[in-house]
Amino acid sequence: MFDGLIAFGHSIWSFCDPLSIGLILLSSLVGVIIGALPGLTATMGVALMTTLTIKMPSNQALLVLICTYVGAIYGGSRSAILLNIPGTPASAASCLDGHALAKQGHAGRAMGIATSGSVLGTLIGMFFLALFTPILGNLALKFGSYEFFWLALFGVIIAGTLTGDDPLKGWIAGLIGIFTAAIGQEAIYAYDRFSFGSRDLAGGFQLVPALVGAFGFAELLMAVRERPAPVKISPFDSVIPKLGDVTKHWRTILRSGVIGTFIGILPGVGEDVAAWSSYAAAKRVSKEKEKFGKGSIDGLMAAETGDNACVPGAVIPVLTLAVPGSAPAAVLMAAMLIHGVRPGPMIMIEAPTFVYDVVAMMMFATIGILIYGLTLTKLLIKVLMVPKPIILPIIFVLCVVGSYAISQRLFDVWVMLGFGVLGYALRRMHYPVAPLVLGMVLGDLMEKGFRRGLVLSDGDLMPFFTRPISAALWITIVLVVLLKVPAVGRGFARLTGKAAAPFSSP
Amino acid sequence: MPNEIHLSSPRRDLAGGVVWTALGCVIVALSWQMDRMTQQGATLHTAPGLWPGIVGTLLAALGGVLMLRSWQRAQRIGWNAAAKDDADYAPQSSFALATVMFFVYALLLVGRGLPFWLSTALFVTTFVFLFQYTLRRAAGKLTRGFAVALACGVLTSLIVTLLFEQLFYVRLP
Repeated sequence: MFDGLIAFGHSIWSFCDPLSIGLILLSSLVGVIIGALPGLTATMGVALMTTLTIKMPSNQALLVLICTYVGAIYGGSRSAILLNIPGTPASAASCLDGHALAKQGHAGRAMGIATSGSVLGTLIGMFFLALFTPILGNLALKFGSYEFFWLALFGVIIAGTLTGDDPLKGWIAGLIGIFTAAIGQEAIYAYDRFSFGSRDLAGGFQLVPALVGAFGFAELLMAVRERPAPVKISPFDSVIPKLGDVTKHWRTILRSGVIGTFIGILPGVGEDVAAWSSYAAAKRVSKEKEKFGKGSIDGLMAAETGDNACVPGAVIPVLTLAVPGSAPAAVLMAAMLIHGVRPGPMIMIEAPTFVYDVVAMMMFATIGILIYGLTLTKLLIKVLMVPKPIILPIIFVLCVVGSYAISQRLFDVWVMLGFGVLGYALRRMHYPVAPLVLGMVLGDLMEKGFRRGLVLSDGDLMPFFTRPISAALWITIVLVVLLKVPAVGRGFARLTGKAAAPFSSP
Repeated sequence: MPNEIHLSSPRRDLAGGVVWTALGCVIVALSWQMDRMTQQGATLHTAPGLWPGIVGTLLAALGGVLMLRSWQRAQRIGWNAAAKDDADYAPQSSFALATVMFFVYALLLVGRGLPFWLSTALFVTTFVFLFQYTLRRAAGKLTRGFAVALACGVLTSLIVTLLFEQLFYVRLP
């Protein structure tokens, strides 16, 4: 325990130099602006910043990425409250009560609630990050090829089930991601798969250009498709959070922080589900249910605490299992690999202090959003007023340069374009994109687990089903899938007396 | 009965199902044709085509389920039934123009001999000017519109070039 505290203290001290402080302030600001601009998401922001920080030392680069990530998730609340447009999908739940409060003339108070909820949510998540990572890291040491195969599959299935309206489409998107991860040389015989004689394809797709395409370029295409709406900003009062709003809703803050962190730990689910789950839980236990959607402070506090608590939560499985808890965390994991950090079960043995470095980065990011939460409102409003035709080409230039910067080859720009078109087509057909990303990130781990497992057992499939952790994972996967089969879902609903959501009813 | 009217019509879902089933079958066929590497001692479970073959099979199967489901829905609500989309869409021509400009910049301007700063300044200036043209013309401020577009183009080009090349030491295309 004290070793952890001492390591945490060292980590904090290591970032207390002028350059790091400057990076924290700058990247938090970039994150808040990206999050506040409708159409630009945290995933896109982290992906673009990954390309910018490629030549930085690893700790500084990851500091920038984590500050951008936390800032973007927080920044989304600003446009949700002021414009009734969620800056990121994570802030969709905040629109309901945040904008209702703004319409009642309490936009400043709503922004104060969002700031306090986000700061406290990140701190709760940070506490669990420091607490659970060593424990989960030790548990992960028991994982072998069989368990990693099921865990990766679990991630894709859960992401497909929870991140969209239609689980069937989510699973299909996940499979496409897994397939794209199989393109290029395979690990055992270095055999070129689906490369059709192309040397570039034989190397496979690099994650960052593919993610910049699937999130950056695809979102630009979606933004171009919609007619720019006139920006109407609600007038606002003081944005300083009120102590009473925090003390009166401490139960909601704690509950939402725990829910957000737990949802973050689930592979691939992410901040939007965390916000909605926290919101739903707050509504369920509230004595003023009728106020939800009409300017409930409890509702806004729950959504904002939940989505920001999810950020440290999503980093826990990245560090311990090399399995991302959300789409932005998938990019963060790719960035760690680029910078020579190997997340996974060995991290508590190979680099135990790195975990505390990440906790310290989260703490500095929290300070960053607190500073901008209290000071940035007028500047943010000016940014929100910048017309879309000016922002879109600039973001596209960054997508092109960012994709090229990783390996300095034009092939990566084509990959970005290709994945952008794929991401756009999937969005148009109402497929979620998060499972595609999870499939791309986890496909390699899944295949290695599957093939190594078969080699170890000499082709026997039984160890995949009989080892205790494997058994728990495959049974969970089967249950998750079965509950989405209409007949099973209806049977379960009859048994529990609740409405189920089978995949015939997106 | 759950709400049957989704944003995606049965016809569109059927088309998606056909595409995924076809793609899955192609993946399976290509995986089957891959070298089994038996000369290097590979067995069935280490053959390079095994994993993509499984993924292709699952993709084809789920595509089939999507086709079947869309057919069942179509029997109940018709092939074209879809929920009304609230979004306010720009004209198709704007979307097509923007997409063409993105592709021209990324495929034909960048890395094809033209200096990066020049291609970027050209792209951003043209994009901003064209997409604000209607508004600027209606306001009678075309010259000002061009000046704003040019300023955006030059500044973007300058800042991105300096940021990547001078600060982060990244070679630009």
